[in-house]
Amino acid sequence: MTRGEALLGIKSDLFIVWSEVVKNIKFLLAYPVVFVFWAIFPIFWFIPFILQGQAIVGGLQSQSFAEIAGTPEFIPFVVLGSILNSYVMTSLYGMGESIRREAYQGTLDYILSSPCNKAYILIGKALSESLASTIFALSQMVICIVFFGINVTLGIIMPTIFIITLLILGLYGMALMLAAASLQFKQAHDLAHTLEYVFYLFSPVRYPIESLPLWAQIVGKLLPLTYALIAVRSLMLLKLGLTALYAEIIILILIDTALIVIGFYLFNRMEERTKKSGVISQY
Amino acid sequence: MKKPNDKTHRLREVSCPTGWTWTNLKAELRAIWENNVKEWKIELAYPVAFIRQCFSPLVFLLPFLIYGLVLVGGRFSENLLKLVGTGDIVTFIFTGYIIMGFIGTAVWAMGFSIRKEQWYGTLESIYITPTSRLSLVFGMALHSTGHQAIGTLLQIVVIYSVFGLALKITGMLPALLIFALMMFALYGFGILISSLGLILKEGWIVAEGLHSILQILSPVAYPLLVLPTVAQQASSVFPTAPALVGMRTFLIEGYRPETVGNVFLHLLALSAAWILFGIFIFRLADVYVRKRGSLEKY
Repeated sequence: MTRGEALLGIKSDLFIVWSEVVKNIKFLLAYPVVFVFWAIFPIFWFIPFILQGQAIVGGLQSQSFAEIAGTPEFIPFVVLGSILNSYVMTSLYGMGESIRREAYQGTLDYILSSPCNKAYILIGKALSESLASTIFALSQMVICIVFFGINVTLGIIMPTIFIITLLILGLYGMALMLAAASLQFKQAHDLAHTLEYVFYLFSPVRYPIESLPLWAQIVGKLLPLTYALIAVRSLMLLKLGLTALYAEIIILILIDTALIVIGFYLFNRMEERTKKSGVISQY
Repeated sequence: MKKPNDKTHRLREVSCPTGWTWTNLKAELRAIWENNVKEWKIELAYPVAFIRQCFSPLVFLLPFLIYGLVLVGGRFSENLLKLVGTGDIVTFIFTGYIIMGFIGTAVWAMGFSIRKEQWYGTLESIYITPTSRLSLVFGMALHSTGHQAIGTLLQIVVIYSVFGLALKITGMLPALLIFALMMFALYGFGILISSLGLILKEGWIVAEGLHSILQILSPVAYPLLVLPTVAQQASSVFPTAPALVGMRTFLIEGYRPETVGNVFLHLLALSAAWILFGIFIFRLADVYVRKRGSLEKY
């Protein structure tokens, strides 16, 4: 292959990614009410936890909470947990079900039979989902800064973006596995729900992981969200630097690598299998 | 050309039931039952999904309990004691969370009963049968109430075994009566949402919005007193707040109700109002979509 051909190939692949991003953003903007809903309504889901905290503590700080979480301020703790958890929801139900959505729209057969590497289509889907999630998370963050007094300094923005990027990579590895499952089994909805339950219970979204029994802590420590939450809270609430979080970052990178490799392997395997068995067009 | 035989081509005459008679009521009840059976058959065809859904009330309750326990470093809260006369957060949250799944019954199961038939492609066929359209909604309500009851039973068993609950056994009966009254009012709310589904088609945003607001206005994991005054007043329009205050009064030792008044009368009035309002809006929506011919529009 000449250098020119290689460059042309890269350009074509990037064009596939770009087209997929544009298509998904167009879909999102075609339903402005849905867009506004996801930007605002997730806040309503953690308000009960804030009210519960105020009712049983009688203030905005809890010493018992500080003993385990390292910070007595439970409201920013819950708010940050919920905002980062919205990335989990988007990856499970957005990216994880994106393949199923193509089947609903009747375009899955065309996409899978196109002469391009399907990985680029998936990267396009992942990028557009990440973009949408970040817009939603930012709007929630702005509302929380105004109403719940969360402090964000300029210095922690870049490290936070870095941690969130690592989280997104891990979650998309997981979403790839779901996409692979929906290729073969058509409906991966129950699997996505079960994973959501695992994240809901075992990751430190609303309470520190140390408050769980040992076996549950082990499950929680296998999830990328756990390390991302510990790192982001350490940056934003405990005011630690990125260097103090190297252990969490290394583990997050290792989990991401494992999830992405397994995700791509499963997706390619399932794609081949469905093509051979001729069940792609089966609804 | 062969002449059609009059005897074989004659249509069988069917007398459609009309008016308020005992026979018609029995026929409607049968339709509700058949809709319920149909939903159970569909649900049990997917056993994995069914088992997962049975565990979901427990999964969604546990974070509220763990979070509460971490905040006070045990199961006793001084501040809750000052507010409502009981400091046991596990019993307080558990008695509140019992109704959460049933809010879902009203909003999601009943509200989406019409939309679901549209997904299956059976809405038009059901609409031309000589039964009330509401039988479909009530059939779904019956199924969903049974389904939620299984999940709630599982929740009770696990929470009782793991944490232990200090509940007054003598208060069970009045609490169940309050619960039944609340369910009637929630059914009215569900009918209202199902009528929105007839017009809006993809009405999930409205349903999700109402669900979230109802969740905040219901004193599930906190007493009404922590809500702003406007929200406290707004909560009395929905059945969940008075029902929870009433149920806790009968079930929890030493509990001081946040609102004063007769809970039974309050819930009776709300049940009548929500059911009448729901049916009224449903009738309006039904006539509207049929006049516009938008019933089959997906």
